[in-house]
Amino acid sequence: MSDSVVVIDKMTKKFGEFTAVDQLSMTVERGRILGFIGPNGAGKTTTIKILVGLARPTSGRATIAGADCVTESHQIKKLVGYMPDKFGPYPNMRVREYLDFFGAAFKIPKKERKARIQEVLEITRATYMQDRYVEALSHGMQQRVGIARTLLHDPEVLIFDEPANGLDPEARIEMRDLLLRLADLGKTLIVTSHILPELSRICDEIAIISGGKLRASGTMAEINEQLGQMRMVEIHLDGDERIDQAQEIVRNHSDIAEIAGSKTEELIRFRANLTDQAMANLLNSLVSANVPVAQFHEVQTDLEDAFLTVTKEDRAKMV
Amino acid sequence: MLQNPIVQRELIGMMRTRKAIVIQASLVILFALLLLLRWPVDPIADVTGVKSMQVFKLFSYGILTALIFLVPVFPATSVIRERNSGTLALLLNSPMKPTEIYFGKLTGVMMFVMQLLILSVPSLAACFVMGGISMQQQVLPLYGVLLLAALQYSTMGLMVSCLAGSIDSALKITYGMVLFMSVVVLGPHLFLQGATGSLSSIASWLRCISPLPPVMDIIGHRDVGAQGMDTNINSILNYVILSLSLTVIFISVALVQLNRRILDRARSAGVMTHQMSKFAQRFRMILYMGMDPKKRSPLIPGYVNPVLIKEFRSRRFGRVHWIIRTMVVCVVTSLFLAIQSTVYTEQWGVDIIGGIMVVLQVGLVVIITPSLASGLISSELESGSWRLLLLTPVNSRRILVGKLLSVAVTIFLIVLATLPGYVVLMVIDFTLVTQIWQVCVCLLMTCILVLAISALVSSLFRATATATAVSFSIVIMIFAGTFLFWLGKGAPFNVETVEKALVVNPLATALTIMGTPGFDAAEFQLLAPQVMWKAELNDLWPAVSVPLEAMGVQRVSIPMSWNWIVTAGISFVCFLILYIRVRLLTKPQ
Repeated sequence: MSDSVVVIDKMTKKFGEFTAVDQLSMTVERGRILGFIGPNGAGKTTTIKILVGLARPTSGRATIAGADCVTESHQIKKLVGYMPDKFGPYPNMRVREYLDFFGAAFKIPKKERKARIQEVLEITRATYMQDRYVEALSHGMQQRVGIARTLLHDPEVLIFDEPANGLDPEARIEMRDLLLRLADLGKTLIVTSHILPELSRICDEIAIISGGKLRASGTMAEINEQLGQMRMVEIHLDGDERIDQAQEIVRNHSDIAEIAGSKTEELIRFRANLTDQAMANLLNSLVSANVPVAQFHEVQTDLEDAFLTVTKEDRAKMV
Repeated sequence: MLQNPIVQRELIGMMRTRKAIVIQASLVILFALLLLLRWPVDPIADVTGVKSMQVFKLFSYGILTALIFLVPVFPATSVIRERNSGTLALLLNSPMKPTEIYFGKLTGVMMFVMQLLILSVPSLAACFVMGGISMQQQVLPLYGVLLLAALQYSTMGLMVSCLAGSIDSALKITYGMVLFMSVVVLGPHLFLQGATGSLSSIASWLRCISPLPPVMDIIGHRDVGAQGMDTNINSILNYVILSLSLTVIFISVALVQLNRRILDRARSAGVMTHQMSKFAQRFRMILYMGMDPKKRSPLIPGYVNPVLIKEFRSRRFGRVHWIIRTMVVCVVTSLFLAIQSTVYTEQWGVDIIGGIMVVLQVGLVVIITPSLASGLISSELESGSWRLLLLTPVNSRRILVGKLLSVAVTIFLIVLATLPGYVVLMVIDFTLVTQIWQVCVCLLMTCILVLAISALVSSLFRATATATAVSFSIVIMIFAGTFLFWLGKGAPFNVETVEKALVVNPLATALTIMGTPGFDAAEFQLLAPQVMWKAELNDLWPAVSVPLEAMGVQRVSIPMSWNWIVTAGISFVCFLILYIRVRLLTKPQ
């Protein structure tokens, strides 16, 4: 039996003639981390806004832990912790007071609130900044306080919009560890980011959205399959004399999408839809033609490749 | 100077803003309306020049008001905006000297002022061709004073911009200072004119900080509420001296600030009192009388609206220690005036003392309330924290009530602290009890009106700076602008016109109630409270009549001023629109 916490069903959001989200359907299982990616203006923030009750869908529905995001918005507020891309500081307020206000707004009783503030500050390793003014914190510190704020009312689902944006490498690693710690606490996380290598390291699943439509979702392998992602192969030669001949053999051997050769690097790189058997046949052809093959290996495709495939297709459609 | 790249950028930047276009268009429309209002329709030519003088007077007041309240907006935000966006660091890192940057900005503003003055020339020419106006004695001195005023307020705005921490606080301080330097300084002389002694001569010099007395002198209006008394003081010369002195001070202070130091400020380390030495802890406890701002604040109790506490805590002057300080200053001032009234009762009279107190109280409300209320919603929309507020279970009604209460409580405490002086006045003259109650109603109406307008404006704009500027402009137009009609009482305005203009101004009503010179209750019947409803005890419900009878009351009458009805009506409409606006802002898109 599936344990889906977030369910989006044929959700559409239109702003006048413009369709920001188009018939979007997806689910997120309990305790999983979903990386929600897409180019700028793809509809990510609109989808998130609907999930947290800040916007209404034009059609379709979204639920979190069974609560409808439109009709049960009061329940949604308790179930979801949302950190927008903009921190939203209050001037002249110290971190502790800032968290106290949100704790009181979520009606956490005074006695529990004190312990809870301490707890979230410890989880986010922000205890040392509790007496500092919120607006005087660095960007990385503000991000941690933002996460502490989302954790205050102990929500089931956490949604982070660009949490690693503007962070230095060290702060980014800390953020990654923090998100993994939250997943260990049993939270369901939806994270948007443009820093794809970071995201691929922590996410259990990825959803790629473009033009308001879901283009692919699932694990990395499932996404490659859904996108018809071609395999990238690199052939290193021993010397550059037969590089043109090798390129010709590769080109004749199968339906090649892209091929590039570099005499200085003594390398041929190509992208093609090849089975393992076809790869073995190609290698055999090269060796039979006395091409001095030093290395023949497949380069692992990653999230960036998947993302680029989607954006490239979109650009092609626009042209 | 014109080769200075800052001048070109500032001027072009200013001209491109919507604000500049609105100001220019509004001024042209205002001048046209002023002319249309007083342009003679009589076919017989006016050889005495009286009509043209009336138009000229109106024109002079109009352009002065427009300059005073519109021009400081640009310099007040100029430096702080660049500091926040990071371009000031680039400028200071360039080979340009801070003086070049400063005078570049000042020249840009002054060129914009010149342009505004040029826009007024066609209207002035229309007055001039009607005859009766002297170029040497009136037109040129007037433009001279206007240019000096623009210079004075622009340098003041730039100084504040160099010192302020944010754009909206720069605007709030600038408007507070504008109001003080143009209106409040007139107060002491208004009440002390004709008196002898150093206090009176200080007051007559002090009033010359405002450009109003020299302008009145130029157009032959002698003095603010002159009561037929003439003074030997040359207000034009005094204004030139004071204005130039202040300008030099403003420029010096700004230049001291405008260097790398403006950017070289460390982030707060967040050291709290409990982390300090025992000696420091005890010292701070005595210094702050237990209200140490560096002591951790207690958690928000569950029964209190969290938005109310949040508003207090997120305001620089909303903290308890600041409110207490402000209240102490108010109590001391109020008691000082009350003591003055007991000592100089025969010389000054309670009506004058009462008038001073009313002006100071309303001035306080008019300066403080928009600075608190104009950012209530706009600041949250601007910073993005509004979205966070919507993610909490706090509903729109609670948000609105919390926000409005935070301003209302502050203003109530401050106004309350100014009331002890009235108690002394009542002891001196018990017959003033009714008047004092009515003045208190006027103060209440002032607070409600200013709060309603500022809070509504706050919900209509996404930038706090714009909301602050608009709030102050509207409030100043109501509380100071309508007095321009009073200054023109007799000519060019008749009493009815003045009365109708003042009906929106609770300060005018309070002054009428106190019987302040120039505000005759018999003359301003719309302002003076009239008995609008009266009843014998027999006509009332027993639940009401029995306790009243026990108190010895014979009949009940409720006096009401048209000003209270009008301001209550305006406030109600503002609150209604505000509520609808907040409901819309809290709804999912």
